[in-house]
Amino acid sequence: MFPIQAHALRSILQARLSISYPEDHRPMLSSDRSATFEQLALPLLPSLYNHACWLSRDQAEAEDLVQETLSKALRAFDSFQAGTNFKAWIFRILRNTFLTSRTGMTISHTVFLEDHPHLLETDDASPTPEDHLIRLDNQAVVREALEQLQAPLREVILLCDVEELKYKDIALVLDVPIGTVMSRLSRARRTLYQLLQPQFPETL
Amino acid sequence: MTQSNQAIEHLDPEQLNAFIDGELSADVAQGVQQHLDGCHHCALRVLGAMQMKAATARVGQRYTPSAEALSRLTARLRPQAPEPNEHIVPFRTVSSRHVALWSAVAAAILLTISLAGWQQIHQAHTLTAELLDQHLATLSSGAAPQVISTDRHTVKPWFQGRLPFSFNLPEPDALPPDTALQGADLVYLEGRPAALLIFSIHKHTVSVFVTQRTSAFSIAPHSTRSGFSVRSATAGEIRLIAVSNVNPAELDALVRDFAKVQ
Repeated sequence: MFPIQAHALRSILQARLSISYPEDHRPMLSSDRSATFEQLALPLLPSLYNHACWLSRDQAEAEDLVQETLSKALRAFDSFQAGTNFKAWIFRILRNTFLTSRTGMTISHTVFLEDHPHLLETDDASPTPEDHLIRLDNQAVVREALEQLQAPLREVILLCDVEELKYKDIALVLDVPIGTVMSRLSRARRTLYQLLQPQFPETL
Repeated sequence: MTQSNQAIEHLDPEQLNAFIDGELSADVAQGVQQHLDGCHHCALRVLGAMQMKAATARVGQRYTPSAEALSRLTARLRPQAPEPNEHIVPFRTVSSRHVALWSAVAAAILLTISLAGWQQIHQAHTLTAELLDQHLATLSSGAAPQVISTDRHTVKPWFQGRLPFSFNLPEPDALPPDTALQGADLVYLEGRPAALLIFSIHKHTVSVFVTQRTSAFSIAPHSTRSGFSVRSATAGEIRLIAVSNVNPAELDALVRDFAKVQ
């Protein structure tokens, strides 16, 4: 009934929801491919920039990071596998670009929790209802807590809550097993709770 | 404290996270839901976790690229775009080469102009197709908008932090007769975020797209595509585009009233 729309709708959905290509996806001409890349990447620019700022903690560096990410992604677009999540794919490139940058090299010396299982031991029981009396109404307080979080913990929270990636896609971005995503997320949220309730230190 | 009256154990933190992140299969999620119905303790934990997720989502969306940065990044998406012809040739050459040079410049200018013209037509065409696709997606029952509310005081604040601009919604009694707000969604047009407001006029659904007015694109104030009317208006920095199969005069009235309050 609407042949043109059906085609265009698919491309929009791909861009909006990062859903997979149809199975009969065939190699396209170069101009088509780069148009597809543009269609997929353009809506993600604000997200990539925001995430790059959080990673590098510097807006000028963040722009360079996104620039480099886009160049790499465009060059590697042939290797993007049909049926996988484009957003996760390009966020993974962003992360790797960051990790090989100067700031990233420094930050990657940060201890990863899974290398030190004792840090992950949850002797603390799950939060009691009273623990939830935390100050979420004050954005500045929440922002401060997020900033205080260790980089790997903050990263997983951002990918999950802000970028709304599924666990399996977060696992792809971080290049870790899905179980690690879950434990890191659990740890991140627990730490955020703790940071948000300095008025009840004894409940920690 | 009220404890669970069921023999089920409390949710462990990872289960709780998976629940609020929508990662559980339907039947497991249903089991959790049943537990929450009877367990005040866990229900409060879930509520707290959801509130914190919403808070971090809001706070985490903190950095927005400047318009200049965004256009530099957008330019990077098109590596094959022709370089501007600014380094053609120094001008101290013999006159016959001048002629050749000027012809080349003239041809380049003509080509650029016609390419720009073609691109604009092409983009306007693509934009209308995008609008109609979004509208059809709205009509399909499977795609509920993110905000379902008839209250403009709920809908407008929802866009805060999601859009790089602000706009006003007309009061219910300032709308044409039998016209009501039904909900809203965040969409992307031409790769830019836009507000999609869903109205009903009688039994017809109307999609009103609110975007920033950009000089690069234009859309005819009145057009029709596949039997749907498309109406466009600008007010200040805002561009409004309405799509529906309702009587065009009523669509005009809605767009007019909407533009009036900007």
